[in-house]
Amino acid sequence: MTSNGADVIQLESPAARRSPLGQALDIASRPVAVVWPRPTVDGWGRDARLIDALAPAAHLRWNVSVGGEHHLPAGGALIVVNTRRFALTPISTALALGEVLGRPVRFVGRPDTVPFGPFLRRVGGLLALPAEIAGALRAGELVILGAQGTSNPRHAGVVDHALVAAAVREHVPVHVAATLSTMISRQARVEVAAAIHPRKKRRGPLAEVELAERAQRRLQDLLDEMGGARTGVPGLGWLGEG
Amino acid sequence: MRGRRVLVSGMGSELGSLVATMLEAEPWVGSLEGVDVDPPRRRLRTAVFHRIEAHHRSQVVDVVTRFNPHVLIHIAVWEPDARVDTAHAQIFTQEAATSFLGAAAECPALEHIVLRSGASIYGRARGSLSRPDESAPVNPTTEFGRMAAQLEAAAADVSARTGVSIGAVRLAPVLGPHVPSPLGRLLRLPAVPFSALADPPFAVVRDSDAARALVAAARVGLAEPVNVVGPGAITAWQAILRGRRLPIPLFGPEWAIARRLSHLLGAPVPDHVVELLHRGRLVDGDRAKELLGVAPQHCTSEVIDRLFEWPSVIRVAPARAMVEQQGLAS
Repeated sequence: MTSNGADVIQLESPAARRSPLGQALDIASRPVAVVWPRPTVDGWGRDARLIDALAPAAHLRWNVSVGGEHHLPAGGALIVVNTRRFALTPISTALALGEVLGRPVRFVGRPDTVPFGPFLRRVGGLLALPAEIAGALRAGELVILGAQGTSNPRHAGVVDHALVAAAVREHVPVHVAATLSTMISRQARVEVAAAIHPRKKRRGPLAEVELAERAQRRLQDLLDEMGGARTGVPGLGWLGEG
Repeated sequence: MRGRRVLVSGMGSELGSLVATMLEAEPWVGSLEGVDVDPPRRRLRTAVFHRIEAHHRSQVVDVVTRFNPHVLIHIAVWEPDARVDTAHAQIFTQEAATSFLGAAAECPALEHIVLRSGASIYGRARGSLSRPDESAPVNPTTEFGRMAAQLEAAAADVSARTGVSIGAVRLAPVLGPHVPSPLGRLLRLPAVPFSALADPPFAVVRDSDAARALVAAARVGLAEPVNVVGPGAITAWQAILRGRRLPIPLFGPEWAIARRLSHLLGAPVPDHVVELLHRGRLVDGDRAKELLGVAPQHCTSEVIDRLFEWPSVIRVAPARAMVEQQGLAS
């Protein structure tokens, strides 16, 4: 009873009121519950804990050295990377950059069908839609956008200007990052360059078209500067070219 | 700004009565009236309540036009399988929209309408945005989403004819201790199904945060849609484990059986909850602070934790001594 004469009803805790069946389920699910006890997905569906769990497997496949990450801003930025077909370059670059920077890095190009779509979403994938990219950039995220895939790892493919338009509209910087990896070696390299700027200030859609072309040219310059990848095996060094 | 007349449709609901209690404390509210088919769930000190069914349109029109509100907060939206089944939810929501928006349009003092809408209005069609903001196209793929879209369209029509401003507050699934929610009921079952192949993330909002957003929308005269969602996200698998429920992974066809079983257990699963479990439901709520001046204070995981902490039915033993005393006295 309180000072004003009101009766206080003490409620039991939910756990104490559980039925025998509920208690049995509680005990049965307890070992499972400790495996993933806290929510680890962020507002975009990226699961930091899953990425941590996958990191050893990713390191088995790739040993990535990252350079030029100091060029990236603290806020949002679009990073255009060259991609070799079937090399999963945007994913490996996002994982490597995320590890170096200690912040989430997302990549563009997940499908929207099970099971790959939801899985890639959990590792930071975004749909290849300008509005989706714009939303992430507006929220201050780093987003990796792959250029069109090529068979030659030293060629930069075409950059989709419709997707670059998201960065133009959100007024965030566009960086390029040259990546070099081989099919048979673990060694990979990511070199991030300073933000690129259009030569002329445009008011219309030419802004993103010219920025995308400039990104492709800058990527090609970076790849030329980096030189080709070598396997290090005498007589088979050319294998590193693709 | 002071002395505004505010009308709350759906004042009897949990969310409506919460909004009413908050409005009573607002200095700019001069008089407050509400209409609903059920009496308010909370004690209201100054608000006037009218118990009228929405399909009694002439009574609604009489009450609303006599009050002549400056602001209408339209909360009379029935979520499918929250209190009534989907078919009735459609009918009741439609009737309420016709009666209240129609009556409000006849009021010369009306300046502003705030709508309770839902995040399911964006839909989750294949290839749709993972985290739509307010500028994303409206493309509902569930019945609740279509109801919200129809409601916003009806309000836009009123706005075009009368010139009043419309603010739609698009709420993520609302969870709270007494809020009837099909998602909340499903997650509280002892064994909960989830999509094993997708297990997508979703976000929710607590009832108090939703009410605060509706009141803020009325205060600032919100004239555009705004998403209101708790920060963060959670997947069904993670929510189930946090509640120490038994997760039941489902892959596809067995969902039909699971829905029927769940219905039998008292937790019907409407299509917008199935979509949430299969395709996720995230929305970009970053503009809420800018547009409303308030943002949800409780993150999604906290709201889910509170969901599992709610007491079930509390059976209070009668105070025997008092009963016996009364019996002796009589």
